[in-house]
Amino acid sequence: MSARCGVDVGGTFTDVILHRSDGRAVVRKVLSTPPGYDRAVVDAVTDLVGETGEALTEVVHGTTVATNAVLQRLGSPTALLTTAGFRDVLELRRLRVPHMYDLFWRKPTPLVERHLRFEVPERMAADGTVLHELDEHRVRAIAATIRARGIDSVAVCLLHAYVHPAHERRVGAILSEELPSATISLSSEILREQREYERSATTVVNAYVRPLMSAYIDRIRTGLDAAGLDATPLSIMQSSGGVMTAQDAKLRPVFALESGPAAGVVAALGMAQRLGVDNAIAFDMGGTTAKASLIENGAITRGREYEVGGSISAGSRLIRGAGELLRIPTIDIAEVGAGGGSIAWLDPAGGLQVGPRSAGADPGPACYGRGGVEPTVTDANVVLGLMPAGQVADGQITIRRELAEGAIERVAEPLGLSVLEAADGIHRIANARMTRALRSVSSEKGRDPRELALIAYGGSGPVHAGGLADELGATTILVPPVAGLFSAVGLLFARPEFHEVRPCHLDVDAVEPSVVVGLLDEMEDALAVAIAGRDMPVLVRTADLRYGGQSWEIEVELPTGPVDRASLAGLRERFEAEHEVLYGVRGQPGSQVHVRAVRVAALGPLSPAPSFELADTHVPSRDATRRAWVGGELAEVPVRARSAVGATSMAGPLLVDEYDTTVVVPKQWTVRRHLETGTLVVERGGVS
Amino acid sequence: MSERAATDPVTLQIVANALQSITDEMATTISRTAHSTVVRDGMDFSGALCNAAGETVAQAVSVPFHLGSIPTAVGTLLRRYGDRMRPGDVFIMNDPFDGGMHLQDIFVVKPVHLAGALLGFAVTTAHHGDVGGRLPGSSACDNTEIFQEGLRMPWLRFYSEGDPVEEVHRLIEANVRIPHMTFGDLGAQLAACSVAERALQALAERYGSVPLGVLMDSLLDYTERLVRQEIASWPDGTATFTDYLGSDGVETRDVPVTARVTIRGDEVIADLSESAPMVRGALNSTRSFVLASVYQVVRCALTVDIPNTAGAFRPVTVITKPGTIAEVVMPAASSMRGVTGFRILDALNGALAQLIPQRVPAAGEGGNTLAIFGATRPGTDERFVFYELVVGTWGGTPTWDGNDGLTNPASLAANIPIEVAESEFPIIVERYGLVPDTGGAGEHRGGLAIERVWRCLTPETSLIVRSDRATRPPYGLAGGGSGAPSSNVLHRPDGTEQVLPAMFSTTIGEGDVYVHRMAGGGGFGNPLDRDPAAVARDVRDEKVSAAAASELYGAVIGADGLVDDTATAANRMERRGT
Repeated sequence: MSARCGVDVGGTFTDVILHRSDGRAVVRKVLSTPPGYDRAVVDAVTDLVGETGEALTEVVHGTTVATNAVLQRLGSPTALLTTAGFRDVLELRRLRVPHMYDLFWRKPTPLVERHLRFEVPERMAADGTVLHELDEHRVRAIAATIRARGIDSVAVCLLHAYVHPAHERRVGAILSEELPSATISLSSEILREQREYERSATTVVNAYVRPLMSAYIDRIRTGLDAAGLDATPLSIMQSSGGVMTAQDAKLRPVFALESGPAAGVVAALGMAQRLGVDNAIAFDMGGTTAKASLIENGAITRGREYEVGGSISAGSRLIRGAGELLRIPTIDIAEVGAGGGSIAWLDPAGGLQVGPRSAGADPGPACYGRGGVEPTVTDANVVLGLMPAGQVADGQITIRRELAEGAIERVAEPLGLSVLEAADGIHRIANARMTRALRSVSSEKGRDPRELALIAYGGSGPVHAGGLADELGATTILVPPVAGLFSAVGLLFARPEFHEVRPCHLDVDAVEPSVVVGLLDEMEDALAVAIAGRDMPVLVRTADLRYGGQSWEIEVELPTGPVDRASLAGLRERFEAEHEVLYGVRGQPGSQVHVRAVRVAALGPLSPAPSFELADTHVPSRDATRRAWVGGELAEVPVRARSAVGATSMAGPLLVDEYDTTVVVPKQWTVRRHLETGTLVVERGGVS
Repeated sequence: MSERAATDPVTLQIVANALQSITDEMATTISRTAHSTVVRDGMDFSGALCNAAGETVAQAVSVPFHLGSIPTAVGTLLRRYGDRMRPGDVFIMNDPFDGGMHLQDIFVVKPVHLAGALLGFAVTTAHHGDVGGRLPGSSACDNTEIFQEGLRMPWLRFYSEGDPVEEVHRLIEANVRIPHMTFGDLGAQLAACSVAERALQALAERYGSVPLGVLMDSLLDYTERLVRQEIASWPDGTATFTDYLGSDGVETRDVPVTARVTIRGDEVIADLSESAPMVRGALNSTRSFVLASVYQVVRCALTVDIPNTAGAFRPVTVITKPGTIAEVVMPAASSMRGVTGFRILDALNGALAQLIPQRVPAAGEGGNTLAIFGATRPGTDERFVFYELVVGTWGGTPTWDGNDGLTNPASLAANIPIEVAESEFPIIVERYGLVPDTGGAGEHRGGLAIERVWRCLTPETSLIVRSDRATRPPYGLAGGGSGAPSSNVLHRPDGTEQVLPAMFSTTIGEGDVYVHRMAGGGGFGNPLDRDPAAVARDVRDEKVSAAAASELYGAVIGADGLVDDTATAANRMERRGT
């Protein structure tokens, strides 16, 4: 056995989990050290290694450093080279506005402002015909301007380069000669997909965070080396849920942009697999947002598009334009602005509203006594007795019930409700908002939420899961151990991952199978080079298909075995079946089906799962019962530690208080502990 | 119980969220499965839910302009078929004289039943690229009667108890130029209706104890309360504003659009009856579309966020006169009435700006430009219709510059990616970008104009264009200047150049290059009050020339790109003096 370490850096805390060679896990939560986030990472890893005396074989790192750089505009000044005539594609975006009826909305300033966007005389046609030769002199002149302005990161996105990259590559080569110290990001190396705005935006974000991420990764590497861990490889979590080498992350940091939430979903998948659960919704509720992601047939659901810094609105993922759009392989995660810190307020007609404004970490909910006065979801949960008053999280926070009540009173009084009724309303409205995120990954995709288990984590996830399950009709809730730092756990489950894609335009019924075989061979050769002898036992071959005339593809896996006429017919059938599941209809009989891309992913071996024989961090000794509002009434509800829950089901209502969260077991529900994993299994009507 | 539940603010929010998420699901379904560029890429469609009385209770984030038109359409359907609707029926309509807007917008509506009772309606409308008629794309400004504009369908049964009505399908197939595109988009609308039906039924089952209809009614009442409260906070008064269309659809001339807006207590009255008589071309608007324009303006002026329901319309009265451009009567043409709607918006905002000046920005570009290319693909006998949208820029607001290049807030359209267009159609886009010195000068500058240039690769290509604001540019407010006017120019391969009017139908040939420049947005406030640093930024970004910086803004920018404060102060003092 070997020891591995997962480190998840967030804005407030850095979570570390060390998977020991005996299979057990040790966790550590320390304060992050902005702006030099690498310091806490290196220190925490070094400390844990020192305490346990383990020889690490790998450090896997998930980070929001790149995301924060985009959100706070702290990336490097970046230049963009475009085809002549198209300097403004980045700024015009797709022109959409993220919501209706707002004449005062302001479009975000582009990451590359107009004076740093340069036009290159050249033009490819869609079929690869060169309409205008590349003007290399002009490229060199632009390089001189960039040098003079001291810009050290350059993005290049030329029209049709996703399929005809010759001009773009030549531009890249010239820039490398002229600007040896700058980093050059080519759109054809970042995203081989049609649609110039989406490709430009993704390439620009890559260029924007690249110098910073590169330096950050180098500092961690240096720190680990200095601590004697120079033989330990460093891997970086990707938004797709897989990991990449630190070296690759320095070239293509855009793929690591949203790695924290991705790691949580990976952990949820790992937990589901060990429990034999194939279909579930991973539900993560933190301080400001709640996130939901679908696990289906034992696999994560992939997305292709993500918007960083968008105003968060679940279910409405057609709504684009609020943030920086990225077309990268991601885990499909829906997000709503509802978390423990979300503020409850009254609209002018006396309607009760919750969020999306959040009290954040500072001042935090009113009950923290750090100056917050507005009522939050956490305050409501404290008033309802769902979360305990007193000290939590090793005494870092003291929750004061009277402050929560005072805050809730601010909305209860004008509504003519009691404090308890108002708190219940806030709790339920937060649930209604989160239900939109949960629906958008289930029923909106044609999946019946009643057949899905809810895997609840994050500080507030286990508190709200019961109400959400009722809203959706779900009958099982799973709460993993260390729910509060579950994303770090996911880093240990993540597999190395390499991707190749080839855009194409083929009629699935007419194409010679050898053409598809040729594309697959080409990609697998490229992957072999990238993998460089690492153990990557699984190859996944997929294709993007759509009906002739549509513009959105559905990705389906190729039937196993050699590619021939029969397997292509099988591919068509898989596409049509999926189309029917998603949209309720198939195309007219005889409709053309087009293959628009073929993809191969190489996956590393599955990691052995850690066990969590952790001591209870919070043992309810103060009161074995708490007065709480569960199932529509106030009652004295028993309170237990996780370790006190056994393999035999106990009936709700019941509260399980933990380090930084409480598992709420509603009336008519039961709870038992899956002893092997430590997971709490909460079931509707599970006991006779 | 039901009384209490109906007014319970918690249940209300939950139901509002649920209805909204169903319509979001409808919109996703349409966009992901549609076939035409105008629907799947341009996003010209809407999805909504109505209660059993035909009042909208939720609308997807799609075309705001459609919101006000939906109740008229569903109301007409109820009058025609109200007593004859069965589960599994689907109805179709595009007739402006039977509840529709113009022939291109086809409504597909599915009544949703549960246990024998009508719950409400799943409503979709999408802008179809071609519905037959005189020219490819069907829409043309110089159509002079509805019979030239394509297949006209009053409310018809499209599916009967789950089965397609074959006669209607055959009739459509026989009357449109590209049936697979039309049926592809209709299929997307049907899929959205099915998705909504399932979800609405599930919602009604969950709230079994309180009828969903009761909850929908209280959601409408709640919306109405919010809107009345805000209107009541506005000062009472009446103001009038006249804006102009620059063409009657056939030839260039001023067509006045006059809005008289009255705020009285918690109600708004919008009177469009003084607008021009109906015009020869296809710019005549239905009353329902005028309603939509008025609701859009009132809705945008509100500061509170309200549910997208028809309850918002209750405090609003709209007056139109049959036979005017604001209320078309048979047999006048209306396919290009969209631009009239945009101008009605501008006129209404111009009036409202006199009453609540802090809530109204200067005029934006004046409406999407439509450019429809139709020809035969080289080397085949296959026809194509390429429906291009050139989309918007915003006017300066009381607090900030107009956005440079952004969809008109009434249409929320998206642009069509160049790589998609060039892959699917024999056409080259030669340029697409912002044009310097086109935003109206102001303390808050108007957005820059967008230019899009196409090279035609096919002979005998029909080109139909609807643009405007060539002769009457977007207005500024509070001392801000107008945006730059729009223009249309055709460059022939032989080097000659032809200036075209704002609205035209013509035939172009292989190698012709068509250059369209939209209007810029109007400015807000006196340009001499603009922050000189903002002017310097505009000069650095080549959005404003150094000459314009000095002449319009009085800002003197040095060769180093920095503001010369002394020279600027002197320059501004001199300009203020004159």
